[in-house]
Amino acid sequence: MMRRLAALAAAAWLICCGAAFAAGPRIVSMNVCSDQLVLSLADPDQILGLSRFSRDAWQSWAAEKARNYPRLSGGAEDVLPLKPDLVVVSLFDKRATRDLLKAHGLHLVEFTVPRTLDEVRDQIRAMGDVLQHPDRAKAEIARLDAAIARARAEASTHHYRVLPVERRGFVSGDSSLISSLLTATGLTNAAGELGLGAGGFASLEAIVKLRPDFILVSEAGDRAEDEGRAFLLHPALERFYPESRRIVLPERLTVCGGVMLADALDRLTEELRRVTK
Amino acid sequence: MSVQDFALAAEVAARRRWSATAALLALVVLLLVISLGVGPVRLSPLAVIEALFGGGSDVAQVIVREIRLPRTILAFAIGGILGLSGAALQGLLRNPLASPSLFGAPQSAAFGAVLVIALGLADVRSYALPVAAIIAAFGSVFALLAIAGRNAGLLILILAGLAISSFAGAATALVMNLSSNPFVVLEIAFWLLGSLEDRSFQHVALALPFIVAGAAILLSQASAFRALTLGEEAAQSLGVDVGRLRLFVITGVALGVGGAVAVTGSIGFIGLVAPHLMRPLIGHDPARLLVPSAFTGSALLLAADIAVRIIPSTSDIKVGVLTSIIGVPFFLYLIMRERRALGGGVA
Repeated sequence: MMRRLAALAAAAWLICCGAAFAAGPRIVSMNVCSDQLVLSLADPDQILGLSRFSRDAWQSWAAEKARNYPRLSGGAEDVLPLKPDLVVVSLFDKRATRDLLKAHGLHLVEFTVPRTLDEVRDQIRAMGDVLQHPDRAKAEIARLDAAIARARAEASTHHYRVLPVERRGFVSGDSSLISSLLTATGLTNAAGELGLGAGGFASLEAIVKLRPDFILVSEAGDRAEDEGRAFLLHPALERFYPESRRIVLPERLTVCGGVMLADALDRLTEELRRVTK
Repeated sequence: MSVQDFALAAEVAARRRWSATAALLALVVLLLVISLGVGPVRLSPLAVIEALFGGGSDVAQVIVREIRLPRTILAFAIGGILGLSGAALQGLLRNPLASPSLFGAPQSAAFGAVLVIALGLADVRSYALPVAAIIAAFGSVFALLAIAGRNAGLLILILAGLAISSFAGAATALVMNLSSNPFVVLEIAFWLLGSLEDRSFQHVALALPFIVAGAAILLSQASAFRALTLGEEAAQSLGVDVGRLRLFVITGVALGVGGAVAVTGSIGFIGLVAPHLMRPLIGHDPARLLVPSAFTGSALLLAADIAVRIIPSTSDIKVGVLTSIIGVPFFLYLIMRERRALGGGVA
């Protein structure tokens, strides 16, 4: 559905104005997730501007690369004078901004947040089509599949139960991207055993009682900058899950579904090797 | 009334005081035990006791000793210091509506702690947090008493308290906006609601020294409160240095409330309610009221913290929300009772 929408928008654009630009459309990305897709698939001169958070290394895997491009405010104001051929937005971006851009005759391509690896592949392919670089998209998908295979080879023999825990004890449910990463590599998300198949907050007591093989967190280290993080450093949790039983996957690798998931999976493989040693 | 009658009446009152205090103590002990027994993981009472003394499975041990025990200790200590602070402030100001939360002390302490969290100055489990909270609480109570003056009426105290808590709230919101931590708004919003959930012995170590010091200071002033009931001048002639007493009370309240807020966020209205529950049983002597008010505060917070774990809800109810929901109607009731003083006695 997503892909079809994007392809449709791309086709519409091609019909109206494609002939004018042989080098592919010049675009603006309004969302930190689409930024990263654009950065890995587009030619540098195709990128007119990136989202407000594009340079945030904490959210974006491609933050360093994003420094070479203008950063936009997030509103419609600075998009209009750039006169992009296409604007890539997320359905989570402000509706008023999207409507305003549309009203001014800009072509919007809307991306959702993917929940499964299949949807991620679809999005990479769709973005490749939009940017007129389908070959690059194909290569990225191949890279992702290779990383899945590597992680699978490491993990699938053991069927470890892994509980992904975030600040305040939030546990990602079965329909989350992180869960589909675990499943693809042959690990089990232990959230279901807590009755949190749809995701939700788990109490410290419940996690201690469940005793999954590993917990998956987004940060190592011993600093609690707020109480939400202090949850993960509670002595009761540290007793059963010291560093050697924590799989660490930085948020910037998992927060968006995109080409960075290949890196996320390789990191997962490395971490599994470390904690099962 | 003859001398014998008077002595008899005094003896009856004393007996009632002792039995009330003993009953209160028994209630606190009962609540302590229940607090150790209640949680998302069901453990039998036997398993809880076994785990508490180092027996049973290691999972049960960790749950009881590292998750529930610190929480219970904090509820006991923080409820106690809040009740004690309320009784001390009411004694100092000879005013039944005085309490830390109406004076903006917890809100100001929260601002101090939020400043440290939001600016990422220190780990939330470091002493920077209680110290900042204590300084802010001290500043707020000091400012309040300075603004309201020596013989301030209810209205002025409450208006000044309202102004100070609004100011602390606005300052907190401003600090949240200036923070670089992307989660800070949510974290602080949660934290301001007040909660004892998932605290550890690190938090106990953080708060307890300050709470104990604050309590010791407030309790040491008991006889001065009693002298003060005769009026400020009479107290002075009895050798009470009222200026020094004020400073002691402010320091004691700031240490206690600041230390408490630093680990639990703001928990309101226990300081207001506790002394009032005790007055019918103990009498109006502010010196005798201190310890029972502290135990009542402990019992109230323990009960509230047990309630938030028992009440079925999809996400956890914050204990500070519960104490306010019970405390505010009580406050309104007090205002209604004091209506005449409020209406006529604009000092």
